[in-house]
Amino acid sequence: MFKFQEICELIRLVGESGIAAVEVEHAGSRLRIEGPPRTVIMEAPAVAGVGPAVPVTRPASVVVSGTTSASPSPGVSAEAPETEDEAGLHFVTSPIVGTFYRAPSPDADPYVKVGDSVTKGQVLCIVEAMKLMNEIESDMSGTIVKVLSDNAQPVEFGQRLFAIRPA
Amino acid sequence: MFRRVLIANRGEIAVRIIAACRELGIETVAIHSEADRSCLHVELADRAVCVGGPYPSSSYLNITSVIAAAEITGADAIHPGYGFLAENARFAEIVAECGLTFIGPSAAAIRLMGNKSEARRAVQASGVPVLPGSDGPVTGRNEALELAEVIGYPVILKASSGGGGRGMRLAADSRELRGAFDAARMEAEKAFGDPTVYLEKYLVRPRHIEFQVLADGHGRVIHLGERECSIQRRHQKLMEEAPSPALTAELRSTMGAAAIAAARAAAYVNAGTVEFLLSAEGGFYFMEMNTRIQVEHPVTEMVTNVDLVREQLVIAAGERMTVPKRKSLASNGHAIELRINAEDPETFAPSPGTIRHLVLPGGPGVRVDTHLYAGYTVPPYYDSLLAKLVVHGRDRDEAIVRARRALDMLRIEGVKTSISLHRKILDEDDFQRGDLDTHFMERFLVRG
Repeated sequence: MFKFQEICELIRLVGESGIAAVEVEHAGSRLRIEGPPRTVIMEAPAVAGVGPAVPVTRPASVVVSGTTSASPSPGVSAEAPETEDEAGLHFVTSPIVGTFYRAPSPDADPYVKVGDSVTKGQVLCIVEAMKLMNEIESDMSGTIVKVLSDNAQPVEFGQRLFAIRPA
Repeated sequence: MFRRVLIANRGEIAVRIIAACRELGIETVAIHSEADRSCLHVELADRAVCVGGPYPSSSYLNITSVIAAAEITGADAIHPGYGFLAENARFAEIVAECGLTFIGPSAAAIRLMGNKSEARRAVQASGVPVLPGSDGPVTGRNEALELAEVIGYPVILKASSGGGGRGMRLAADSRELRGAFDAARMEAEKAFGDPTVYLEKYLVRPRHIEFQVLADGHGRVIHLGERECSIQRRHQKLMEEAPSPALTAELRSTMGAAAIAAARAAAYVNAGTVEFLLSAEGGFYFMEMNTRIQVEHPVTEMVTNVDLVREQLVIAAGERMTVPKRKSLASNGHAIELRINAEDPETFAPSPGTIRHLVLPGGPGVRVDTHLYAGYTVPPYYDSLLAKLVVHGRDRDEAIVRARRALDMLRIEGVKTSISLHRKILDEDDFQRGDLDTHFMERFLVRG
């Protein structure tokens, strides 16, 4: 299931980018956002003995359920302040499973810290897998807003590592 | 014994391995692709790690990611299941180099048995009968033609690095062989990156009879009887049973001894399967050895009461196998396995989709190995096996009756399945008589 803030974030991104539609599949749920006019359709997997879909979240103006669609007003994110944090942010995810390291060696300074400006292609961290140090580069220029994993912690494929506010 | 085992697989076999680990008090780590987040093995394991994208090359076949997942979770051994990395000798080697235990045979044994012509040579040297044919690769067309004259047509060309029925060409006479030779080499090169082919005598109506073997690191090698796997379509097994209706106690003992000799020829340790072709005249010939746990292992478990996956773990941990020593492993009753696939029963086209409704049969003598649950979406990226319906009866007739009633109680809605196909096979006269050979399905499908 998608989190409410993830949906809001996507709506905002679709609005800002001006693209026609985006479709995301995650954990058996599919979310499609078209814009404009903006429509949210969430198809939840059928669960035995339950209806074809279960409403996930029911915020004031966005109805998320089986085939119900709603046109969120532009003010949607204002009604959900918790999404403010993530809105407009870009996430750098781990391309491999391994151990996350913020610095090239234990006594070195971290590659980046919150507030740093980074450019596309700049090394942000290392993910070690099978004794190989894989330098993970930023896929976007901007400012580091958050570091989402602690040093020397295991990370999975696709796990968010950094939040960047695009330049 | 191991503390924590990583299971480098998905679906029903991952669930099966979790069951064996749990009974031994071993913690489990599941790995999964992005498409398998809601897979049952992910939920049932103690820990789960996403190792890559939906395509197997990015996840279940990605050696670096699988090893990294074992490292970050502190696993001390890896069970490869079947398929994916199970028969990858390099993977077995890397696992060992990383200080982990590969739950399966040595890399050397995998490599030897993975090369069909080398395997043939090795077992033949140990006195195991092989089909008359080239002792190793045939390099030229003329060599193939001369050899075929000696052993007699029909003959079959097979890819040395092949398997699963790909890279095989049949020739009924010298004219056909002339054309088949280059085609087989080209196909082998394309499918396996190795154009080497070998030539064998082709049996007209053979049965596929395989022997389950277990070997531990303390020198004990045993067989647990045979499985008859003649009901196949395009070399994919659909239904397996134990014991085979064709084997006498004497033939079983002879073939079992040959299976043990084949395992010893490879200095084999762990569970493995030696496949034979059995001709209508009663001659048997080594085909290949599968160096993994097999899909159809439950039929052997049902008639021997041996938990093969448990034995794999015990053996890999360096302990002695726990199978009691008996004079002969006379099997108890009869077992049949039906592979329920997500596919169209007419066209055999895969049928991914969401399981809307699921009822699994139970009752006396019924076992279902599956990863299904209602609401689960069968992804399009992996094989179509949904469930293995295994039945056990006091004899073959009772097993067939039980298979039929268990099929009637099985409900899977949301995807097309092979349930109706199995029902028809069970009703077939040849099947009921036990008159089987590897061309059973071809004749069955022609009759419609």
